[in-house]
Amino acid sequence: MKITVNENIVQLDDKCNIEQLLIVLESPLKGSAIAVNQKIISRSEWVNYQLQENDQVSLFQAIAGG
Amino acid sequence: MLTDAEMLRYSRHLLLEDVGELGQKDLKNGKVLIIGMGGLGSPAALYLAAAGVGTLVIADFDCLEVSNLQRQIGYTTGDIGGDKVALMKHRLEQLNPEIRVRSINREMDKTQLLMELMMVNLVLDCTDNMASRQMINAACVEAKVPLIVGAAIRMEGQLMFFDHSQEDAACYHCLFPSNEEQGLNCSNSGVLGPVVGTIGTLQALEAIKHLTGLPSGIKNKLKLFDGKTLDWQTFAINKDAQCTVCGKTK
Repeated sequence: MKITVNENIVQLDDKCNIEQLLIVLESPLKGSAIAVNQKIISRSEWVNYQLQENDQVSLFQAIAGG
Repeated sequence: MLTDAEMLRYSRHLLLEDVGELGQKDLKNGKVLIIGMGGLGSPAALYLAAAGVGTLVIADFDCLEVSNLQRQIGYTTGDIGGDKVALMKHRLEQLNPEIRVRSINREMDKTQLLMELMMVNLVLDCTDNMASRQMINAACVEAKVPLIVGAAIRMEGQLMFFDHSQEDAACYHCLFPSNEEQGLNCSNSGVLGPVVGTIGTLQALEAIKHLTGLPSGIKNKLKLFDGKTLDWQTFAINKDAQCTVCGKTK
């Protein structure tokens, strides 16, 4: 299936949860936040959250500066 | 009642239908704790003092360094070496003698912070590190005090409002649950002054709206600011039932 991650198209296996996505993207799990279709998905839900065709995923890091 | 001097000083607020004399009195009765007097805290404190927020409590434990001046607009070159909170208290009192400013010149633990929270209506998190952010969030959840969080590095900003006086409020820990994560900061990543200033200014705007009873469009939301394109992204944050800080399992 095709999804977008930060507006780039990513091709995935048909069954993929958020944790698997981060592993595919080689993105660190710690310090990352994920939104699917403009809704933040809590880290406790990542393993159970199955991505769907055409999902718009936003991946970003915690920033602490100020 | 506002004094004649206050009527003059705040005349541009009094002209606003959304603020007016009632709103100005709300600001006068407002008590806001601003933690961190750096790039976020400088504009936030200056705007809230100028707006007539009656009591400002400002906290920091750093001395001013020359590398701060590129973005921390509350200070001048002659201030280098001084305690930030003492410098800022003086600056805010000069800006607006009608308000009270109290300074806390030490790193607070959660117990001290909980004491301070009993005396304010609102907290602005303007700190520069993840450990402080997690502690401030946990204390605000416990004390049910609304929290406006700002953060910025490079050319990116983040803004969130968690109204812990409301049952359905999500929290910072729902979004970033790991205490181990470092979080990028200004000293390891760099930052542009107007980017961090934009976020600090919007923390002040949200604070004024909250104190005057105006609705906020960003409660339980994360706003991401891109300083390159000036684009904003908005994400809804739902309370995480598994959250160890605000959830049922805490």
